[in-house]
Amino acid sequence: MARVKTGQKILIVDDESESAILRAVRRRLEEEGWEPVVVQPESGHSLGEEFEAAALWSIEEDLPNAVLLDVRFGEHRDDQFRGLGILGEIVERWPKLPILMFTQYSQGQDRETAVRGSLKWDSPVDFIDKLASPDEVVLRLRRLIGTSPESIPIGTHILVDVNSRLVYVGTGEDRAAALEIQGMKFEIFRELATSWYRSPGELVAFSRLERFSEGEDPRASLRVRIREIKDAIGKAMNTQFGSSELILNVRDQGYRLVPPKP
Amino acid sequence: MAGVICLILAPIIGVNTFESLWAVDPFTYLGSALILAGLGISLSSYVGGEFRRHSTQGLNGNHQGNSWSETTLQYFQLFDHDLGRPLRRIAGKERELRAVMQAAPGEADAGVIDLLDEIERQTPNFRLMMSNIQVLIQLESPDHDETLQPVEPTEVIRRIADLYTAVAAEAGKEITWWSEPAEMGLVYANSNAIEHIVTNLVDNAVRYAGTHVEVKLSNNPSHFFVRVWDDGPGIGPQYVQHLFDRGWTPEVVRREEKSSSGLGLFIARSLARQLGGDLTVETDDNADGDHHTAFLLSLPSNLASQTNGTR
Repeated sequence: MARVKTGQKILIVDDESESAILRAVRRRLEEEGWEPVVVQPESGHSLGEEFEAAALWSIEEDLPNAVLLDVRFGEHRDDQFRGLGILGEIVERWPKLPILMFTQYSQGQDRETAVRGSLKWDSPVDFIDKLASPDEVVLRLRRLIGTSPESIPIGTHILVDVNSRLVYVGTGEDRAAALEIQGMKFEIFRELATSWYRSPGELVAFSRLERFSEGEDPRASLRVRIREIKDAIGKAMNTQFGSSELILNVRDQGYRLVPPKP
Repeated sequence: MAGVICLILAPIIGVNTFESLWAVDPFTYLGSALILAGLGISLSSYVGGEFRRHSTQGLNGNHQGNSWSETTLQYFQLFDHDLGRPLRRIAGKERELRAVMQAAPGEADAGVIDLLDEIERQTPNFRLMMSNIQVLIQLESPDHDETLQPVEPTEVIRRIADLYTAVAAEAGKEITWWSEPAEMGLVYANSNAIEHIVTNLVDNAVRYAGTHVEVKLSNNPSHFFVRVWDDGPGIGPQYVQHLFDRGWTPEVVRREEKSSSGLGLFIARSLARQLGGDLTVETDDNADGDHHTAFLLSLPSNLASQTNGTR
C-alpha cells in the first residue's frame, strides 16, 4: 500500500490504546498517511479524570486534526461515561475540532445522551462502534475532517495527485504519470476518486460528470473519455480493464470507481 | 351509600314527618336519586378508564398502555445488557484475533479466517434484532419521543452503505448508492428512525440480492425518498400483502425455521407511517426476466413547518 503523507494528526484518547483492536486501528491510520498520537496519562492509571486532563493538555500541545475518543474509561461506575464529559470539554474549548467517539453501541442511549447534552446538531462529532473495522474508522475520519486529500491512493498501483493534476500508475521506482489522463479526463477521474475516497460504494451520477464532457451528445462523449481513461491506466499496468472493472457504469445511472484487485 | 341510607330511613322518618304521604316520601325520591347518581358516576369512571387505556395502547392493540411499555422496556434493557455484554466480548475477541493475525500475515490458517468471518457475519444480525425489539417497544410506548431534528439524509445513507459494503463484499455482492441532487441538504426528521428503517431495508436487500444492491436518495419540494433495490429472486404476488405483517418471513410459507424475527419490515413501515410517510414495495419474481425487489421509503422533509416555527 502506498503511503501518502497527508499530515493529518489523530489524537487517540482511550485507556485500551494498546489492545489488539486499537493497534489495528493505529496501523490503518498510518497506512492512510496519518499520524496517530496516543494520550498517555503520566501515572499510567486508567482513571478517567487523569485521561481528561491529559487529553485536554495534549490537544493544546499537539494540535490534532481530529480526536478518537472512547466513551468508557475502565470499569468504575464514575468512569462509565467519562468520555462524554471529556467530549463536552473539548466541544466547549475547540468547537470546530472533529471528534469520533468509540461507543459500545453507535445508536441508543450513549449517543442520545451526547447529542442531546452539550452538543449542537452541527458539531463535528460522530459515533462509531468500537468493534467497527479499521477501514470504517478511517472512512468516518475522512469525512469528519472534511478535506479532500492532496493525493488519493487507489489500491496499490494508482495514485491521483490533485496538486500536479496527474494520475500516477505503478509502484516504487516504476511509478510514472499516465500523461494521457489530463484536462477533462483528469477531472472526471478525480471526481470518481474523490467519491470513492469518501464512500467506496458511492456512484457519481451522470449529471455530475457531464459537465466534463462536450458536444451534442455529452453522455456519448463521457463514455468515450471513460474508455480512454481505462485504456491509459490499463496500458500502464499491462492489463486491459473490462466493463466491470476500474470504472463501472451502474444501470445507466452513472459511474463508480472500483480499485483493481491486487 | 347516602341513597341507600335515605331509603332505609324513609319509612321511619317519612311517616312521622309526612304522615299519610309516606309512600311518596321525598326521602324515597332523594335516596333513589342518589343511588342512580352513584351508579352513573361509577359507570362513567369505568368507561372513561377503559377509553383512556384503549386510546394509549400500542400498535397491535393488545397491550395495556403506559405501564406495560415502561415495564417491558425496563426488562428488555436488562436483557439487552446481560446478553449484549458477553456478545460484545466474543465479538471483541474475534476482532482482536483478526488484528493479531493481520499483524503477522501469511501465518493464518484459511479455515480459521472462515470461522472468524462467520462470527463477524452473525454479530450484526444479532444486534439488528436487538435494536428492532427495542424500537418496537419504544414505538408502542404512548409517550415515546417524536422530536424532529435537522438531519442530512445523504450522511445517514452514506453511513449505512459504508457499513454494509464490507458485509456485502464478503458475500460476493456489491452496494452502490447515490443521491440526486448530489447535495440534498437538510431535512427535519428523526434521524434514529431513518437510520433504523434504512438499515433494515439494506440488511434485507444484502441478504436476498443476487449480486447487486442499489440505494438511491432523491427528493421533491415536500418529501425525500430512499429507494432500496436488489436483484434478488423477487417476491411472489401472493406474498406481497404479507410482507409487512408482524413476524412474517419467506420461511413461514415454506414451513421452515425462520432465519430472522420478521419484525424488520413491520417496524420499518410502522415507523415510516408514524413519521407521516410510508414504505411501499415493488417486486418482480419472473425467473426469466428482470427479477428484483425495490422498497420505497417516503418521508416528509418538514422544511416548511420548521421554517414557520410550527410542528
